[in-house]
Amino acid sequence: MTGRRVAVTGVGVVAPGGIGAPAFWDLLSNGRTATRGITLFDPDGFRSRIAAEVDFDPTEHGFTEDEAARADRYIQFALVAAREAVADSGLELDGESAWRTGVSLGTAVGGTTRLEHDYVDVSQRGAWWDVDHRLSSPFLHRAFTPATLASAVAEQTGARGPVQTVSTGCTSGLDAVGYAVHSIQEGRMDVCIAGASDSPVSPITVACFDAIKATSANNEDPAHASRPFDADRDGFVLGEGGAVLVLEELERARARGARIYCEIGGYATFGNAHHMTGLTAEGLEMARAIETALAQARVDAREIDYVNAHGSGTKQNDRHETAAVKRVLGDHAYRTPMTSIKSMVGHSLGAIGAIELAACVLAMTHHVVPPTANYETPDPECDLDYVPRTARKHTLRNVLSVGSGFGGFQSAVVLTQPKEVRA
Amino acid sequence: MKSRTAGPVAAITGIGVVAPNGIGAEAFWKATQAGDSVLDRVTRQGCEHLPVRVAGEVRGFDPGSLVEERFLVQTDRFSHYALAAADLALEHARLGRADYADDPYAVGVVTAAGSGGGEFGQRELQRLWGRGPRYVGPYQSIAWFYAASTGQISIRRGFKGPCGVVCSDEAGGLDAFAHAVRAIRQGSQAMLVGATEAPLAPYSVVCQVGYEGLSTGDDPERAYRPFTAKACGFVPAEGGAMFTVEDAAEAVRRGAPVRALLAGHCATFTPPGRPEDSEGLAHAVRGALREAGCAPEEVDVVFADALGTPEADAAEAAALREALGAYGSKVPVTAPKTGTGRAYCAAGTLDTAAAVLALEHGVVPPTPNVFDVCHDLDVVTGSARVAPVRTALVLSRGRMGSNAALVLRKGP
Amino acid sequence: MSDRLTMEELAALMKSAGITVDPAELTSRPDSRFDDYGLDSLGLLGIVGELENRRGRALPTDADRCKSPREFVDLVNNSLMTGA
Repeated sequence: MTGRRVAVTGVGVVAPGGIGAPAFWDLLSNGRTATRGITLFDPDGFRSRIAAEVDFDPTEHGFTEDEAARADRYIQFALVAAREAVADSGLELDGESAWRTGVSLGTAVGGTTRLEHDYVDVSQRGAWWDVDHRLSSPFLHRAFTPATLASAVAEQTGARGPVQTVSTGCTSGLDAVGYAVHSIQEGRMDVCIAGASDSPVSPITVACFDAIKATSANNEDPAHASRPFDADRDGFVLGEGGAVLVLEELERARARGARIYCEIGGYATFGNAHHMTGLTAEGLEMARAIETALAQARVDAREIDYVNAHGSGTKQNDRHETAAVKRVLGDHAYRTPMTSIKSMVGHSLGAIGAIELAACVLAMTHHVVPPTANYETPDPECDLDYVPRTARKHTLRNVLSVGSGFGGFQSAVVLTQPKEVRA
Repeated sequence: MKSRTAGPVAAITGIGVVAPNGIGAEAFWKATQAGDSVLDRVTRQGCEHLPVRVAGEVRGFDPGSLVEERFLVQTDRFSHYALAAADLALEHARLGRADYADDPYAVGVVTAAGSGGGEFGQRELQRLWGRGPRYVGPYQSIAWFYAASTGQISIRRGFKGPCGVVCSDEAGGLDAFAHAVRAIRQGSQAMLVGATEAPLAPYSVVCQVGYEGLSTGDDPERAYRPFTAKACGFVPAEGGAMFTVEDAAEAVRRGAPVRALLAGHCATFTPPGRPEDSEGLAHAVRGALREAGCAPEEVDVVFADALGTPEADAAEAAALREALGAYGSKVPVTAPKTGTGRAYCAAGTLDTAAAVLALEHGVVPPTPNVFDVCHDLDVVTGSARVAPVRTALVLSRGRMGSNAALVLRKGP
Repeated sequence: MSDRLTMEELAALMKSAGITVDPAELTSRPDSRFDDYGLDSLGLLGIVGELENRRGRALPTDADRCKSPREFVDLVNNSLMTGA
């Protein structure tokens, strides 16, 4: 690369149990869970009837009725998170800097909730294949095109550089931020509004995970249903939300006196070329992503202070990434806290990678590792330090965040405390 | 895209096309060069009554003869096109398993997708709402989403390199090339890159009805006529193209055909609702030329976005004049997509395929159905124009505001 | 007993997962692994779901973890008998 470095100068979060970065951090650092019985639709008849939902009223966040109708829920999350992140960073765009500012946002399922809603109308509840366009709502085309996500945030922010929506399943958030980091390093832009958003709690998405038994069916105890790394885990709990970071070329951020939370120095992604939903027990491809991201950030594996895990709570995932982290960190893995915030905020598909990066940024600010809630019974195949239930003070210089997605995507991001001189 | 950092130069070595006017690069080029229009009345089952009357349908495509049944049952039509096009692109580049068997991480996949597996999704929605949650099948979780094609290509061919998905609007098809170029610069040996779309399913068509600029004309010869006084919008299309992109030096070393160099790319944003705005596209053109180290007069042909609304056509003509100066009115401009329709994200990839073939053959293909140009542009109409073509500029604008420009140079 | 799962029905169900196999082959090699026929975990989950819908009752939770046609047919038929 060219020596250009990337700083995080703003954070915005809309998460279950906490809207805004302070409320989100309060939830995480206290180990509270936001998983509950689904309220966004009547889940009667579904196998999994639980989710981590955001209590979000668009009018409380300044949306007029028209604006709320025009922007799907996942876009509303992104707009609110982006507004917070930009305000936090003190970023101001003028005529010239607007062209040097991009947007890179991820989403796994985009506007599917709206698409399903209108489908029900135009098909008369699934009665017709020959659907009737006259029964659809006026903004349906905006839900059809996931590009609406990045477009809406660019419009709000005034960015006129590269604007893209990224959709690599459950690594969308990490990948959207990773692409932004590489683009700034390459000199294609100086600033990027990067993150991800999803609002997948709808019948079709719940049903599709029911069909492959990927989600937890612990409907009797929703608050304790998301149990990453625990021997009794039985699948992930669907979530929703969004998070946005302001990424900025380091010297630019310093020159304007911006608060620098941390740097993002490395990102890599690889395909496992194995199976659309299945993971190997060895985690070789994730290990490769971790090694590559560490090399970019010039961080040694033994210098990692915290691993923010994908930790979805499926049998295969938690075993897979435990193996991958051990493969790269070696003995150091046993001394390194590794936690999954999905235990608290659920798995919001494409959004979660960005929400997890926001958690990493806040953890590095506070030097506190958020816990893995609900962790009680060790699994012999998952034998690392998962920081059960209670947050822990820990000096955080270098942090690793990893993710896995349907389609075989394996991604890793390395965050570091800002350093004057990098060895 | 070589000027920013020294290092590998990315080259297109293989083209795989599944388009309304032909399957395979050869058939596609034959129809494109001849200026054949294959726009026709929509015949897809369940779409006939909808207000989109004319489109570019891929006909005569038999996925079962190209892709294994177990991949077909778990994917939508858009991925069928992608899997077949990826095979064609690899074959065209003569890149086989033996070339990467030692290092599966050396080859990655990037696709762009504007709407995902809509037809598959509609079928499963019908099961859910018509019969109940337990009737949703296991493949809905992997067929509808935008990442389906990248994942399936990676799995089917054993590619473990960087895998990505851009689900931007139309311009995303060109942005996918920028991702591939970055991967090559970072050390990947080869990338499969491109986009395919399948927006012609009943519910997907319903979802497009709200697009500004969508043509509702029912005469295939008149429904999509950009740059004319009769411009009345665009017609949609399905299909697309995949490409094998390689480190040019590596490609030469293994004796592969270097068909074109990916010399420059730039993306910008124009807030939606400003169809008359030319600034964003002009900025993208200037950026792509700068990266390619290319003077305006070196551009031998422009593959236009050609949206087909009066304001957008005027803005595109203005953008070319802003970015290329007086030469903007002189450079040959073509829009072969008037004969096939706009395949959303895949439109830019089909234009890129046509541009690479134009470089190879020294021929600028014409713009079907367009005769009476009313803008200050040299639009190639009627028949193809034989001319030395060393540099091509491909433009794309998205319905949600993205602009992209891609500069292709003839190989050494 | 008409509810019993036969190799013919299983072969037809495998076809919906994109796997073409002759019922006679399933009968003659019932212990070959589903993997070897090309049927993956999602394919088997789809077969279990379809059977549950056809029979109108749930199959044992480990049905989708069966490794071979014989194991699967035996488990399904045993559960149908005890359930009857």
